[in-house]
Amino acid sequence: MIANSLFAYMVVAMLLFSIGLLGVISRKNIFVIYMSIELMLNAINLMFVSLSNYHHDMGAQVMAMFVIAIAAAEAGVFLSLIVVLYRRKKSLDSDLFRTLSQKEAA
Amino acid sequence: MMDILFLLLSFFAILGAVGMVSFHQPVHSALSLILTIIALAGLFALLSASFLFMVQIIIYAGAILTLFIFIIMFLNVKEANLPKEPNKTMTLFLGSIALLPLNFLILRAFYKMPSAVIPVSEDFGKIKPLGMELFTHWLLPFELISILLLVALIGAVVFGRKEEA
Repeated sequence: MIANSLFAYMVVAMLLFSIGLLGVISRKNIFVIYMSIELMLNAINLMFVSLSNYHHDMGAQVMAMFVIAIAAAEAGVFLSLIVVLYRRKKSLDSDLFRTLSQKEAA
Repeated sequence: MMDILFLLLSFFAILGAVGMVSFHQPVHSALSLILTIIALAGLFALLSASFLFMVQIIIYAGAILTLFIFIIMFLNVKEANLPKEPNKTMTLFLGSIALLPLNFLILRAFYKMPSAVIPVSEDFGKIKPLGMELFTHWLLPFELISILLLVALIGAVVFGRKEEA
């Protein structure tokens, strides 16, 4: 009964999305920030799939696959950026990314 | 039966997400994110999206997060290299209060929608109809995604190479 109502899935997806947004705005560790972004993408995927089941339309599942592909591309670029930052600064503090905008501010 | 499965899977998904946000060590966060990903794969299976269930486990839990844990262990982060977050609990608490109105607004919009009564057809979400949909209606976005992956690959190589001089 609960398992085939759209609202229950939406509650789970919105909770996951809010936890991800919370992680992005309140943590300083860039690993945790990256994982929160992944969590938000996953919550949106859950929304896509449950709406696809609700409307009997396969297009939303194709869109969820695209989201997974974009997450994979993002993982590659983000992880190499983290490696470069850690190699230079020896820290995982996201405030150090400020030096990308101003030359040697820190 | 389906209800119990749904409640268990969503409980584990939310538990893993909360752990991911609040753990201090990045390895613990990554492990609890894997719990969330696998629970979400179970939810996809409940929604009769069998192909996405496999893709979620193989690509997310198998490839992306394994790469991620590999990078964390490769960097060998010590306690001194982690950023100090003295008032983390306070900001998490205040942020969750600030996000309540957003949740309320969106969930109220979904609460008004009528519940689905017609069950989906037999081959819904299987690999063959999904592939038919992907290669007929979504061919151009599919090709664009492949170009995006190529660009991301080149970008990762450019960032990661050793600097000259």
